[in-house]
Amino acid sequence: MNSSISKKGIFTLLASAIFAFTAPAVSLANVKNPGLLVHAADDEATTLDPAQVEPGEGGETIILQVYDRLLDIDPYSPNLIPSLAVEVPTIANGGISSDGLTYTFKLREGVTFHDGSAFTADDVKFSWDRAMEMDLPEGNAGALSDVVASTEVVDDFTFRATLSEPVADFLNSVVVAMVSSVVSQDAVEANGGIEAGVPNEFMAGNMVGTGPYKFVVWNRNENVQLEVNDSYWGENAKLDVRIEIGGDPDVRVLGLRAGEFDTIETDPSFVADLEGADGVTIYTGGLLLEPLHIGFNLNIPEGSLPDGDTIPEDFFHDPRIRQAFNHAFHYEAFLNGPLAGYGAFNPHYTPIGIFGHDPSASVYSKQNYAEAERLFKEAGVWDEGFSVSVITEEGNLFALMCLVLKDSIEKLNPKFRINVLAVAEAVFDDAHAQNPLEYAMWAKNADPAADPNFYMQAYQHPDGEWGEVHGFANGYKDADKIAELIDAAAVELNSNKRAALYKELNEILYNDPMWLIGAQEGVVMAHRDWLKGFVQNPLWPRPSLKFSLFDK
Amino acid sequence: MQLRDYILRRLMVLPFLIIGVSIVVFTLTRVGGSPIGIYLSHEMTPDEVLEIEQRFGLDKPVWVQYLQWAKGVLSGDFGWSGISAAPVADVFPLKLAATMELAAASGLVALFLGIFLGTFAGARRNRAPDHITRIVAVSGASLPQFWFGILLLIVFWANLGIAPIGRSDATVFASINHPTGLYTLDAILAGSLRAFWDAIWHLMLPAITLGYGATAIIARMMRSALVEELQQDYIDAARAKGLAEKLVLKKHARRNALVPTITVIGLTFGFLLQGTITVEIIYRWPGLGRWMAASVVRGDQGTLMTYVLFTSVLFLIVNLIVDVVYANLDRRVTLGK
Repeated sequence: MNSSISKKGIFTLLASAIFAFTAPAVSLANVKNPGLLVHAADDEATTLDPAQVEPGEGGETIILQVYDRLLDIDPYSPNLIPSLAVEVPTIANGGISSDGLTYTFKLREGVTFHDGSAFTADDVKFSWDRAMEMDLPEGNAGALSDVVASTEVVDDFTFRATLSEPVADFLNSVVVAMVSSVVSQDAVEANGGIEAGVPNEFMAGNMVGTGPYKFVVWNRNENVQLEVNDSYWGENAKLDVRIEIGGDPDVRVLGLRAGEFDTIETDPSFVADLEGADGVTIYTGGLLLEPLHIGFNLNIPEGSLPDGDTIPEDFFHDPRIRQAFNHAFHYEAFLNGPLAGYGAFNPHYTPIGIFGHDPSASVYSKQNYAEAERLFKEAGVWDEGFSVSVITEEGNLFALMCLVLKDSIEKLNPKFRINVLAVAEAVFDDAHAQNPLEYAMWAKNADPAADPNFYMQAYQHPDGEWGEVHGFANGYKDADKIAELIDAAAVELNSNKRAALYKELNEILYNDPMWLIGAQEGVVMAHRDWLKGFVQNPLWPRPSLKFSLFDK
Repeated sequence: MQLRDYILRRLMVLPFLIIGVSIVVFTLTRVGGSPIGIYLSHEMTPDEVLEIEQRFGLDKPVWVQYLQWAKGVLSGDFGWSGISAAPVADVFPLKLAATMELAAASGLVALFLGIFLGTFAGARRNRAPDHITRIVAVSGASLPQFWFGILLLIVFWANLGIAPIGRSDATVFASINHPTGLYTLDAILAGSLRAFWDAIWHLMLPAITLGYGATAIIARMMRSALVEELQQDYIDAARAKGLAEKLVLKKHARRNALVPTITVIGLTFGFLLQGTITVEIIYRWPGLGRWMAASVVRGDQGTLMTYVLFTSVLFLIVNLIVDVVYANLDRRVTLGK
């Protein structure tokens, strides 16, 4: 008897195993979690407060869903559309003064916050002033305070902002930024108010906005739950949302295949695991606005380089060496290898998908050893060789980009040596935040932006964010000319003239590169087939989804 | 030495050990990188970095920082969790409860299965059941948790769809109050069979994954100890008295075989707590392990320090309990010498 039970048991076990491995995951008709969108995110927020959130950080995703801004970006194009403002200000409709300094926004009436309080121009002024007054170093208040001279409530439903100087990308970069989200004045004042330089604990973990979703709960390290705002001023969202936070990326892929998740954040390395999966669509329809780049440091403190680096501190002052690095990199290997073919190459530094991108501009996109060798020889480093370190985060695309660089440079000349220092994210962040920076090169991705001015100011201007840290003025052939062009484009309101300025800049920067841009990474997302209305716009904060547009 | 005196003596030493541990923890986390790495970005000016340092008291000498931290800990203020945007003291109990519940469930799986399999194999030494049990035990000890966990997920969650992931169904979880943070216990207190079943159902796969490795250790230990006990003279005496084999095994041999096994069980609890990191990540279990892993990656030292301090103190206490239980089970053990 025991024997027969045992055989039966073994049979059952085998049958279960065979069924388990051969059973189809989920059929299309069998929609799981109806009425609920489950999104598996790869990152957790560190705050939900628009005044504290750092651009590109996980909190922006949730802020995008729960808060509204005066203007928004159209889901299907880079165009601006009205949101809490009823129209996009232009010079023609009187919303922008002829000198480009005053922006007047006519506001939507009858809008209420999720706490029931009424939305007026006071809330807009309060929200913008609040961010600027708090001025939290980890946040993005500078986007407002750098350009806004004053804010004013004209009447209950008219808000005016006066700029300190004309700013061409004010609407595209500042008004739509998450820091400009409109928060409930009542909610803030009832929960700690405003204190300069001090985060508001309530707002860091709670949200009271006017958006299509109401905040329900943030179970730390687990999920964020949002529910449909039935009193939304626009078209109501169809699905409640649960954002599953973090976890193992393989489990996200499994969960999508099983139908437990409707959308997942993933990367090109998981495409092979998803291709052909029943009921799963892989979305590769766009490019992230965060080009992957390797920075050249022209401001290395004496004696600070890691052991083993043999280059002099002024190594990258010579534009021929920077050009040679750009020519030597194996772009196709990086695109077709780590990026699995999802990506493109863009000029310095106007990514594909934003204003000013010029398809005819010169781009480093092919390895050119002959030119690299010529330039290295001209610079006088060919015979002696060099050894230089590049620091980056371990275990991601940045590290792989560095390995491609190492391969490219070391194959060109055996006397050249690239040491890839792949370190933990926290260690890299610490090193990366230093000024001056004690490494000759580092690799990461750029911060995303909706307008070329941000990129040019941050990554190319000799007095800009990185220009100052990396000492671009030590190396540009004509730093004044570059600064002049960037500054002129920043305030040029005529789009044709502005585009021409960026075209000129592109050419100068191609010949005098301060970065090696490995690629502009492609968007790789995956969702269940039963999800309707899937749309992704890279101009929205990553992962660039508005859940209110989805249904299933 | 009396048991009471021994416990008192150990308890008196405990605060000094905890202070020592706290100094080591504080020093190590300071050496490991900037405590505010999570907030830093290259956009910040030196003044802005200083502003954040001042916010967290990092502009003061290290020993002052330690004293401030220790003072905070004594008053229940464990600092700010950067990855959770909340005070550590608010989030920690929730994470601890989730982890303790998982560790306890895994411990129960390991305890019952381990003792059962160990006894089963030990009583049938060198026969087929012993060999099969050995294979099971060796598998449990050698299968990597992440592999075994993913395997169970593929079969029971992704393909068969009969097991869930995470800690709960969000709707069911929200339907009851959570006074203890232990979902199973809260479900019982609320009298909700639905919530209780939801809790057990979600515990199943992670508890098996985590408990399987520990089962193997306990089973092997139990088997060896039992085999040794069964060869003792007092067992022959019991059998000679005509005592039934079942009673010989249960009342005599197994009880004594449990003595060395108890030490392993105590250490296994520590193993279970540490092992939750992998299991929590795979099963999206919102416990301490996953929280800690995220804090390491993001450089959130407020969270990390609390976790390391907690586990260190827990080990000190568990060791004390094991010593006491051990002495209680085996009268030959003399305390304090």
